[in-house]
Formats: sequence, structure tokens, C-alpha cells
Amino acid sequence: MSAVLETRSVGKDYGEFRALHDVTLSFSEGEVVAIVGPNGAGKTTLVNVLTGLARPTRGDVLFRGRSIAGMGPVRLAQMGMARAFQLVQVFPQLTVFEAIATAVISQQRRSLDLWHATQAIDAVRSRVAQVADIFGLRERLDGLASYLSQGEKKLLDIATAFALEPQVILLDEPTSGISSSGKRVMMDTLMEAARKTGIKTLLLVEHDMDLVAEYSTRIVAMTEGSVLADLAPAAFFADPQLAATIVGKPHAGAVA
Amino acid sequence: MAVFLDILLSGVFHAAVLFLVAGGLQLVFGVQRIVNLACGAFYALGAYFGVTAVTFAMSLGAPAYALLPVLLVAGLSLAVIGPPIERLLRLVYDRDEGFQLLLTFAIMLMSQDVFRFIWGSTPRTLGNLSLAYGQVNVGPTLIPTYKLLVIFASIAIAVGLGLMLQKSRFGRIVRATAENRPMIEALGVNSGRVMVIVFTLGTVLGTVGGALVVPTAAASLDMIVDLVVEAFAVVVIGGLGSMRGALVGALVVGLVRSLAVFYYAEFEMLSIYLIVIVVLIFRPTGLFGKPLE
Amino acid sequence: MTRFRAALAFALLLLLAAPFVLPPYYVTLMLPALAYGIILLGFNLLFGYTGLLSFGHALFVALGAYTVAVMSGRLGVKSLEASIAVAVVVSVVVAVPVGLLCVRYVRIFFGMLTLAFGMLFHSFLFKFYNLTGGDSGIPVVRPSLGGMDFPGLDKTAYLIGPFYFYSLALLLVLAYLMWRIVHSPFGTHLRAIRDNPRKAEYVGVRVHAFRLLAFVISAVYGAVGGTLLAVPVGLADPDLAYWTHSGVLVFMTVLGGFGNFFGPVLGAFVYVALQDQLMSLTQYWRFALGVVLILIIVLFPTGLMGLVERRHSRARPVTEQGDA
Repeated sequence: MSAVLETRSVGKDYGEFRALHDVTLSFSEGEVVAIVGPNGAGKTTLVNVLTGLARPTRGDVLFRGRSIAGMGPVRLAQMGMARAFQLVQVFPQLTVFEAIATAVISQQRRSLDLWHATQAIDAVRSRVAQVADIFGLRERLDGLASYLSQGEKKLLDIATAFALEPQVILLDEPTSGISSSGKRVMMDTLMEAARKTGIKTLLLVEHDMDLVAEYSTRIVAMTEGSVLADLAPAAFFADPQLAATIVGKPHAGAVA
Repeated sequence: MAVFLDILLSGVFHAAVLFLVAGGLQLVFGVQRIVNLACGAFYALGAYFGVTAVTFAMSLGAPAYALLPVLLVAGLSLAVIGPPIERLLRLVYDRDEGFQLLLTFAIMLMSQDVFRFIWGSTPRTLGNLSLAYGQVNVGPTLIPTYKLLVIFASIAIAVGLGLMLQKSRFGRIVRATAENRPMIEALGVNSGRVMVIVFTLGTVLGTVGGALVVPTAAASLDMIVDLVVEAFAVVVIGGLGSMRGALVGALVVGLVRSLAVFYYAEFEMLSIYLIVIVVLIFRPTGLFGKPLE
Repeated sequence: MTRFRAALAFALLLLLAAPFVLPPYYVTLMLPALAYGIILLGFNLLFGYTGLLSFGHALFVALGAYTVAVMSGRLGVKSLEASIAVAVVVSVVVAVPVGLLCVRYVRIFFGMLTLAFGMLFHSFLFKFYNLTGGDSGIPVVRPSLGGMDFPGLDKTAYLIGPFYFYSLALLLVLAYLMWRIVHSPFGTHLRAIRDNPRKAEYVGVRVHAFRLLAFVISAVYGAVGGTLLAVPVGLADPDLAYWTHSGVLVFMTVLGGFGNFFGPVLGAFVYVALQDQLMSLTQYWRFALGVVLILIIVLFPTGLMGLVERRHSRARPVTEQGDA
């Protein structure tokens, strides 16, 4: 399987500080990759490099064989990569419908249509309804995004990323700020959404190792700017040393 | 050589006055993040009130030498308008900056008629009173002593302001409030009081500037709108929020205008705008400005 | 028919009937209101819908005015359609480079850059006497409408008759176009840019390009309105480009309510009427206008349309739907 997204010996310095150190990774279709590690390990920097927000100081990052180093988010979205941030971002004066429609319009390459009413375009409406259904926001479509609960806002934020129908999606701590009972629901929703929107590869930055154990197909553990381990969950959790380094205590949650 | 000195000195004089107004703008922007479109109104107020004060003083028999001190006092005494206007602006502190701009625009509109009401539509001048100070030889050329005195006064104010901001406790509080208001409030400083004082200081700089310039120019209603653009040019070139920038920007604008007036009058203001545009394009934060956000 | 649609239809009826029922003075007063209505429709695309506050928009208004003056006065081309067409082209030609430079910046820097460009143009108009007539401006010769000269009509009859309906028709057509633009996918993207430019980028919205496009469209509207503005006055003069004129445009927009499609047009009419009334009451009408502006900012920031919306207890604060 050819790599969808890969980094080749990527290093990233911020002045004197070396945030990433010779990182070579390769992600293929169908993977659900969890990027884990303590704070300051370089996860965010890695994600920034992967999503074109940060230009690597050394090495290169490629998406479907093309270098995307430092490419802006707009072009990347057009190329098929989407990202949702940890801190929820909303469009305060748009309705939920309009928020999702913004992404749908981009995906359907309709943004230069100055004539037809967004609300009236069937292709847009049905797509928005589909995405809203997946994320359980169907009832809230006509309301303002800012009136949603915090959890719903998070869903909307992620929904807009999914609505771009990217090949690869990067989610920054998608379950943060969600109560523990809601986390599994969120993860199930995400998996289903990925399936329904044809996303091939998911990358998640996650702290909750239970979720990581249950949902990921591969774990990339970072520490101090380098890749500590790159294993399937079974192998990862089989090594208590490894889990301890990441979490700080031995973990017993391996899924066979 | 004489010509060159003439241009230089006239430019520096203009810069001295501009620095005061722009300095006021910078202070207010730096601390309160408000762009004050009414700065021209304060300048005009200082000019008009200066004329009134001097005329009054002269009628009481004051000697011509009293010109500069009377003007300074006139400008300083206008500090009283600072607090009420700041009170008004306080209503829109946390609003979108468009509203703040509009509020200062409204104040500017109102001031046009207030001044017309008090002083009429025709420009007011002080005639030749400033000649009482005589002229001074600077190299091969003669320059009115008054202009030199204003330049020195402006330098003195600049130095005083600089010292206050850098060395005094209040200055440190002002700078800290500019950087991080919530933090300063958490530390127990009454930021409201700081705002009033800073705004009043900014106002006074404008009124003093207007007062000092009036012997060499007429106090007119046009000042209210014309000055804004020049002051903004200074602020843009120097960098928003920076006092050093106000100094350098004022010098640039003053000298460019002086040169343009001499060589190619059509290009007087045009050249300023072009410089503003160029600076905004290549160095949007100006020469000394801090990046916004 | 919803109440709002009924109100709209009623307003349209009033506008159509005005020349027949109002005294000529008031009809001529409506002419600048119509022109400003067009200008502000464009201005609000940039301000209310894209979130960019320009303090130099009067540049394009002046551009339009001087175009019709040069065309009809200097070049002898009487057709208003030709003048408008040229004004459109000229405004695009100017707006593209100016916009390219300005939309890279936001908020206060955008405001200052646009102010600088506006004043640059004013300076040019003011100083280059041979080209632009200096501070006397360039006179506008009465243009022909749709090829028709109306030789039998004197100036007033022409203005309150054919020219009034011409302006009204233009306003209606341009308003319809703007309505479509604002409700289109492009409009949705503009509002996303206004609300959260960073997130918009991540959702594939071309922030810079669309800000530029909005800037150009608003410039075109400004120029077309500018041509209409100059005809009744019979003169294009540099004051049209002065920064305070740009400030008045913002005033009108906020007065009417920038969060509503119809707000700016309402603001144009109310401002023109207000200014006229105040001028006849006192010589200190600027002061009164200043007070009005302060009241709006402090008490009614959503403008007149905001008050109307509140009265009908619409839960949605600011959307593009003037509601139909």
C-alpha cells in the first residue's frame, strides 16, 4: 500500500529549541493512528508539520507523493486533508446549517457561485443534512452555532472538517472537554463518520489511552521530539515499560 | 546652504508640533487600543483656546514675551476635557473597534459645530505676536526665535514623557497596562484611573500642540479634519503604539512636507500618502511598532 | 405574505408614487438617498458581510462622479449608460490593485490603508488642477437616459421625472443582484471569513481572494452610485473623496443597521432626510448628527433595522436574512 501521508527525516527547530528530531513516518489508507505522548513531546509540532502549518527545518513532508511543506490550510483542504483543533472554533453568526454548508461549498467547488441561494441548492442541502445526521445535529440546523452546548460545538467543529470529505483527517484531542461517558459515543460517531464520508486515514492526537487501545490500528508515541515507538496497539500495550513512559503508570488494557 | 537650512528647520518645527499630537495618539492607542479620530479636534481646540487666552492676556496688559507661557498654560488647562470624553469612550471599550472609531468620529463632528459656535467660521490668528521674540541666526539663515523655542519645548516634552514612561512608577504601570490589562487589574491596579490619566495626557499633548502652533498658523475649522490624516501618517510610519515611532514619524513627515513644499507643491500631501502606503505594505507595523495581536 | 414582505412592498409603492404625490423639493431630496442606497449596498458587502471596515470607500464614489463628469462634460458623451459602464470598468481597474494591497491586512490596518488611498485620490483631485479642475471640480452635463434627452423638460422636471425613475430602477436591479450575491455560496463564504477567518481557511475558504472580490464588487457599487450622485448636483468635486465622506458612509450604514440586508438602504434614506431636517432647523446640524451617531453607537448598535427586528422578537441577532 502506498503511503498517503509521510514525513522524511523531518526536523523542526524553533530558534535554539529542537521540537522535532529526525521523524520519519508513513501513513497508509485505512489506518487509524493515535499520536500519543506527554505534553511537550512534540505531538502538536508534528501535527502542525503534517498539516502544512509549520514548515520543517529539515526533511520533507509529503501528501500523496507531493511535498506539502508549509502549504497553507486552504490549499491543503483542497488537496484532501482536513484538521480539527482542540480548542473549539465556531462561526458565531452563522447557523449550524451555514457552518456545515461552508465546508460543503468548498468540497463541491461551488464557492464562486454568486447567483444561487445556498439554502436552495439541493446538492448542498442534502449533503449538509447527511453530515448533520451523522453527528446528531439534524435538529439544530436552523439555530445559531453559538447557541449550541460546548459538546455540540465540538461536534460541529469536527463535522465541518468531515464535510470537506478529505482523504486524511487530523483530529486534535477530539474527546477533550467531553465527559467520560460521552467519549465513546464521540469516538463511535467519528468512526462512523469516517466510514460514511469516505475518509481513508484518521490521525488522532489523544491522551486517553483506553480510547487509544480500543479504536486505533496503530500507535505512534512521541517523546522529546522523537518517535519513541510506532506499533500496533497489541504490541504497544504488551510492553508495560512503553505505556508507563507515555502515561506514567503501567496500563492493562490491551485488546487482542 | 541657507535654503537647505530653511527647509530643515521648517521641517523640524512642523515635526515638533506633529510629534505632540501623534504622541497623544500613540499613548491612547498603546494603552486603550482606541484610534482617536478626534485628535484633530483637540489640536484645533488648543489653537482656538490659545488665541483666546493670548488675546485676553494681552488685553490685560501682558507683555509680548508672555506669548509662549500663556499658550502652554492654555494648552495644559484644556486637560479638563479629557476625563468627560474618556468617560464617553469607556462605553465602547469592549466593543468592536469600528464602534470606537465611529464614536471618535462623532466627537469630531460635534466639535466642528461647537468651535463654530464659540469662535465663528473665520480662522483666528495671533497676527505677528511671535515676532516679539525676534529672530536668530542659524548659520547663514535667520529663523524666528519662536519656532526654535517650540522645537525645544517639544524636545523637552518628549524627554519628559520618555523619562516618565521608562523610569517612573506610573510610567511602568502605563506600559504594563498597555501590554496586559487583565494582569494589571489582577495585581490590584485601578486600571480605570490609569485610562483616564493616559487619555487626558493624550488629549493635552494634542491641545498643547495646537496652542503652540497657532502663532505661526491660523486656528481654523479645517484643522479638525486636516490634521487627522497627517497625524495618522506619522503614526503609521512610526508604528502604532510607539512613542519613539511618533518622534521618528513626525520627523519624516515634517521634513518630507517641507521638501515637497519647496520643490514641488502639488506633491506635498501626495508624497506623505505614498510613504504611508509604502510603509504599510512593506512594514505594516511601522518602524517601531509592536505587532498587533 | 409575511409582515416584512408587506412592509417592503409598501415601501416600494411609496417610492414609486413619490414623484406624483410629494412636492418637487422632497423628490429631489430622494435622489441622493437612492444613490447612497446603491453605494451602501456595496459598502455593506464589505463591512457587514465580510467584516472589513474601509475608511476610504468614498474614493470609488468620487471615481464614479468624476467619470460621469468627464464623459458628459469634457468628452461630450451624454449617454448615462456609457458613463456607468466606464465607471464600472474604471472602478475595477482601480479596485484590483488597491484591494490586492489592502486585503492583506485586517482591522485597523485595513482601515488606515484604505483611508490613505482615499486621501491620496483626494490629493490628486485637489492638486492636479489641469486634469481634474482642482477644488472647483468638473461640471456634469445632464446625461441622456436610455438614449433619450428629454429636451422638453427643464432641470427639475428631468430630475424628479425620468432621472428619478432611472435611479430607482437601478437601485432595485442592483439590490436584487446584491441579494443574490449575499445569499449565494460566495456570500456564505464571505460571512465565514467575517466570523472566523482562521477557521474559514481550514474549511477551504479562500480568504484573501474572496476579500478582494468583495472589495471589487463594493467598489463597483460605489462608483455606480457616485455617477448618480453627481448628476443632480451637476458637479463632481474633490470633497467627495475626503475621508470624512467615507466616515459618513459608515455612519449611514450603522444608522440603518449593518447586520441586515436592508439596513444600509434605510440608513441612506434616514440620513438624507435627517440631515435635511436638521439643516433647516439649525446651523449646528453637524453637532446634532454627532449626537445621533453617539446615541446609535451606545444605545442602538444594531441600527434601525435592529430595532425593527427586536420588536418582532427575532431570536437571531445578525444574519443576512432581511427576512422574506
